[in-house]
Amino acid sequence: MKKNYWSLSFQVTLTVITFAIIYLPILVIFLMSIHGSQYNFEKFSFTFRWYQAIFTDRQLVDAILVTLQIAVLSTLLATTFGTLFAIGIHSLRKKGRLRMMVLNNMPVVNPDIVTGILMFMIFRFLRISFGFPTMLLAHVFFSIPFVILSVLPKLKQLDPNIFDAALDLGATKFQAIIKVILPSIKVGVIAGALIAFTMSIDDFIISYFMKQGEFHNVSTLIYSRLGKRQISPNIFAYNSLIVFLTIGIMVTFNRLNRNPKRIMEREKK
Amino acid sequence: MKSLRVMIWPYVIWLGIIILIPSLFIILATVSSFHIFNDYTFRFTSEFIRFLSDPIFLNAFKNSIKYAGLTTMICLLVGYPVAYFFANMKSKNKTLYIALLIVPIWSNMIVRIIAWENVFKPVSIINLFNLSFDLIGYDVAIIIAMVSMYLPFMIFPIYAVLDKMDHKLIEAAHDLGAGDFQTFYKVTFPLSLGGIVSGIIMTLLPAMTAFALPERIGGGKVILLGNLIEKQIFRGSFNIAATVSLVVMIVMLGLFALIVHFDKEGETLL
Repeated sequence: MKKNYWSLSFQVTLTVITFAIIYLPILVIFLMSIHGSQYNFEKFSFTFRWYQAIFTDRQLVDAILVTLQIAVLSTLLATTFGTLFAIGIHSLRKKGRLRMMVLNNMPVVNPDIVTGILMFMIFRFLRISFGFPTMLLAHVFFSIPFVILSVLPKLKQLDPNIFDAALDLGATKFQAIIKVILPSIKVGVIAGALIAFTMSIDDFIISYFMKQGEFHNVSTLIYSRLGKRQISPNIFAYNSLIVFLTIGIMVTFNRLNRNPKRIMEREKK
Repeated sequence: MKSLRVMIWPYVIWLGIIILIPSLFIILATVSSFHIFNDYTFRFTSEFIRFLSDPIFLNAFKNSIKYAGLTTMICLLVGYPVAYFFANMKSKNKTLYIALLIVPIWSNMIVRIIAWENVFKPVSIINLFNLSFDLIGYDVAIIIAMVSMYLPFMIFPIYAVLDKMDHKLIEAAHDLGAGDFQTFYKVTFPLSLGGIVSGIIMTLLPAMTAFALPERIGGGKVILLGNLIEKQIFRGSFNIAATVSLVVMIVMLGLFALIVHFDKEGETLL
């Protein structure tokens, strides 16, 4: 029993350290977003003006819009295609499926900078000029493997005969996918879409290779301003807003999810 | 479901165009003067391969191994117990706590790097708490910042395997007379190897090829493979960038072979 206690307190300590080290930058960003002076740190002065300054910064607003448009579009495209590809991969025999998964996982493991260069080269080679379409394509590309990884486990839980049964009952292939397969793998599809959205919003390295001139998403805009020493605290304000929004969404989801679960558990007993 | 097999072909073609063809370009650019930017004058040359013995490359390679290696080791030593803790946790808010590990990833990576840069600069927001560091350019600053960025990517795959693990196996080990340590060493740990390998790769490769972080926290003095690639490609030295990328890809393929060995379907990669 005593040994257990030590091992548990060791785990708890490391967990606390983990949260401290990954949340420290978030706290620093938040502090900088409400501190009045950009250069003077002798005395704290509270302000909200950096939050207002998000919306007067035309370039930043444009970059936020680009980021959101790309995130939404690439999530939609990657989720649709990823789900279809996943169904295709699932319908293969075991050997073929494993081969496809090796192919699929390659871009997942590939460091972003290499993926960035590969895409940079193919677009450059095809003489396609960089901008919104190339950035969108790149985001779709790196999101699809994650959608597939998220959908496949749900497909495995599916009754293997359900699709053929639907066909026997007169459904077309398309109907069978939409009305029979899709509802059963819904959870995996939604999770995949969330991952795709997160990856797209947060991407810097690949977007960095896909941009040209003054076309920026938030990450590349901040990086280019950093190089020119033009960082204004409105960027910290923007980032803090995003963090609060995500924490809010997660806490709400947790509340909503808890109740039905409890009811189900009670029923089980 | 056999009729659905055709749906993989667009994907195979898509991967071929985006991965295979440019990979061939990279190999070509390493051994010849092949250049995608302008002309297509073509001659074989060993000039770019020789760059691999250049002190600039060797230094970047050594730095990458050093910083990424140390970061990965720390992440594993800290991340494993944390993943273990979450996997055995019986709180009804368990999902929320795990989700809280993801929140910092949603915050922009570049902004988090700026935050660390500020923490390690002598004049910064933390002066408000009477704290001041002067660590820009020091190893410890780079490693702390890297651990902060990549730790969640070590925790998730290990947590995924530990959480899915059948608890009856542990009970069985206890019933058969194994102590706590023995159970961990002989049952839990070997079963979590797939997660560990994924975690190591998800930490090591991005850390090796990071360029914004070493650039900012290293004060422009610390060059990793990522910095080398980024600098060379935007300077127009396309072939050198390709050569360095090829080295990174070879490292990646080596590690990838490990993943394929431990986790065929990549279930721990998510």
